[in-house]
Amino acid sequence: MHEVSIVQGLLDIAIENCKKQGYKGIESIKVKIGKASGVMPDALMFAFEAMKPGTMADKAVLTIVEIPVSGYCNSCCSDFTVDDAYVTECPKCGNISLRTDTGRELNIDEMEVF
Amino acid sequence: MKVKVVTNILEANDRLAAENRKIFQDLGVYVINLMSGPGAGKTSILEQTIKATNGRMKLGVIEGDIAGDDDARRIESAGAPVVQINTGGACHLDANMIRVVMDDLPLKDIDLLFIENVGNLVCPAEFNVGEEIKVMLLSIAEGHDKPLKYPLMFQESTALVLNKIDLLPYTNADLEKIKRDSLSLNPKLKIFEVSCKTGQGISDWVDWLLALVKK
Repeated sequence: MHEVSIVQGLLDIAIENCKKQGYKGIESIKVKIGKASGVMPDALMFAFEAMKPGTMADKAVLTIVEIPVSGYCNSCCSDFTVDDAYVTECPKCGNISLRTDTGRELNIDEMEVF
Repeated sequence: MKVKVVTNILEANDRLAAENRKIFQDLGVYVINLMSGPGAGKTSILEQTIKATNGRMKLGVIEGDIAGDDDARRIESAGAPVVQINTGGACHLDANMIRVVMDDLPLKDIDLLFIENVGNLVCPAEFNVGEEIKVMLLSIAEGHDKPLKYPLMFQESTALVLNKIDLLPYTNADLEKIKRDSLSLNPKLKIFEVSCKTGQGISDWVDWLLALVKK
């Protein structure tokens, strides 16, 4: 729903890095978006295409890597990864004492500049 | 050429939120980010809280709405200092919006500041505004499927206030399922059952707030 503000943050960070290091423009940006981050990749892509014109990322291609929800069960002491956006019980033993390690990411990972 | 960036996209907001938190802490103001869907009763519980607190602590409110100042007027009538933010369409409050209005409140005279977020069960959970804790409100009439449909909100909150509990006999809502699913998402969640209409449960909620602020 607020993918536009996310893209604004993304462009601000990318352009600031690009300028600081003395490059002319951005060719591509890779972001890592956790499945539990609440951000929809399609909406993010749409907002990016709408907002990049006229910036240093004018021609940039956005790549979105989705990160699944994963963690560790304190009961059966095993690691888990699920397809859903959230996990309420251990997929192996059903216990609810869990630690989630990934899935909330909303990160710029790397970009290609020229 | 490739450049590694590895930065959280919400970093700018989180940095501002951390600055806001520091300002509030230095002034001794405990801040709660109050979130819910539209119509769950955020303003009503604030009115009840102001009334039930009865001077035992000093409250202040920042009201966030897409448009209008109805909520701010209600809080003012209830007797607490209030400032209204109109987001003009944005679905959530962010840290910068709070920064801009915080000086309009007598922060030195406030023990507990509520930031009433825009009515929305999705986006407010993702943007820190400088709060100490998040509290969410769910009204019984919204149905028992909400925790599993909007898990992030339940996971991020320290307390869940179930409002309009007086409506339970008139709905198909399964109270136990709401509690069970909420606790499975967040085992540490503190749950209150209240009715802003009848006053049920309000004193337990206010006692909890008083204890939080005293700490």
